[in-house]
Amino acid sequence: MKNVFAKSSSPLRKMFLVSLVAFGLMFLDNGTSWLSSIYRVADNLVRPLYWITNIPSRVQEWGQLNVTSRTIIEQENTRLKQESLIHRGQLQRMSELAAENMRLRQLLNATELLMDSVLVTDVIGVSPSPYSHTVTIDRGLDDGVYVGQPLLDADGLMGQIISVYGGHSVAMLITDSSHALPVQVLRNGVRSIVEGTSDYNRMRLRYVSPTADIVIGDQLVSSGLGGRFPAGYPVGTVSTIEQGLGETFVDVEVDPSAQLDRSRHLLLVFTSDTSAIDGSAR
Amino acid sequence: MNPSNMSSPVIISLIVAIIFQLIPVSGDWILWRPNFLMLVTVAWILYKPAYFGIGFAAFVGLLADTVFRTGLGHYVLVFAACGAIANLLSRWLTYFSYFHRAVLIFILVMFTGLVEAALFSIRNMPVDFAHVPVLGLTSAIVWVLVDKFVAILNSTYR
Repeated sequence: MKNVFAKSSSPLRKMFLVSLVAFGLMFLDNGTSWLSSIYRVADNLVRPLYWITNIPSRVQEWGQLNVTSRTIIEQENTRLKQESLIHRGQLQRMSELAAENMRLRQLLNATELLMDSVLVTDVIGVSPSPYSHTVTIDRGLDDGVYVGQPLLDADGLMGQIISVYGGHSVAMLITDSSHALPVQVLRNGVRSIVEGTSDYNRMRLRYVSPTADIVIGDQLVSSGLGGRFPAGYPVGTVSTIEQGLGETFVDVEVDPSAQLDRSRHLLLVFTSDTSAIDGSAR
Repeated sequence: MNPSNMSSPVIISLIVAIIFQLIPVSGDWILWRPNFLMLVTVAWILYKPAYFGIGFAAFVGLLADTVFRTGLGHYVLVFAACGAIANLLSRWLTYFSYFHRAVLIFILVMFTGLVEAALFSIRNMPVDFAHVPVLGLTSAIVWVLVDKFVAILNSTYR
């Protein structure tokens, strides 16, 4: 192997050159899409390593399946049957409400709401950087996944797909600091935009007026504006509202509904309009 | 070590570091997980300062940028700065004990935390420096193992 830097060149000069290259890369990466192929190659190269990194969680799942006693499995089975019964009951009520909603929309000549179809997927990798909230899932182009597709877990919206490869995809979570999502308060329909903060347990609402009717405990759902996320999926709950002295807007913090740093089994939502890609990831 | 024989141990150590880096962890643990790639880079620079320096650190930084998806250039700068300090101090550190080297790693992690914070500020991203001392501590503890690992690779392929 050749000496990476000859001794004749001073460390200061090398550092200056590297800094120039680094800032050049930052500029190109932020301002253009010329370097996107590098990520594509890196993702494909790193993918086999995910198989190794997932061994601990697979061993844990195997242990849960094979080491758990029969009594515990029976108890869990009973609990799941009860839960299923409750959910089916709620679903019947929902179906009735959906039908009623559709009839009312038809009366108003409004656009019909279409039911979204979903695809189950597993998380195979998580971004190792605390500042980049992305996950890699085991579905890709082969399964019809597309850029901008919403991702859910059992509790709410997780994020959206930002890169698609043959057999896997990368999704940006809603807590990523470069992510924003149009929401509305479930109680009264007040609209706002929720932003990620690079913290898995916290998001914030932007530009909320002090007179806006938002209180602690309000549930936020996706508003459907922008066309990226379908309307009505849970996003989070308002946890704190504070106004600094002299500030025009109030600081509203939101706890995400989804288990962003825990969920392994997710749902990819196939919305009726997959061409709408304006807007949410800035 | 013959320079032509050095690529295998370096590649092995980098792959192992990436694997450790990619193991999913939940919640706040991710903030305290040491940057294994950076530790391995520093270890090689300390062991072979004649062959590895700022350029090597920048190259591993580029690798980190693509794998971690932090945006190209971010870790190039952070790793290069870290590598420059390690390269400058390598002559003295050869005679240092594991404890002293661990202290250096703690200081290096604090320094890289500052550089990262500055870069995030430039990009208008939220900066949180509170976790960096704990990250420095975990990195210093893990460093002893990384140092041993690289030393074994270094001697095996000699």
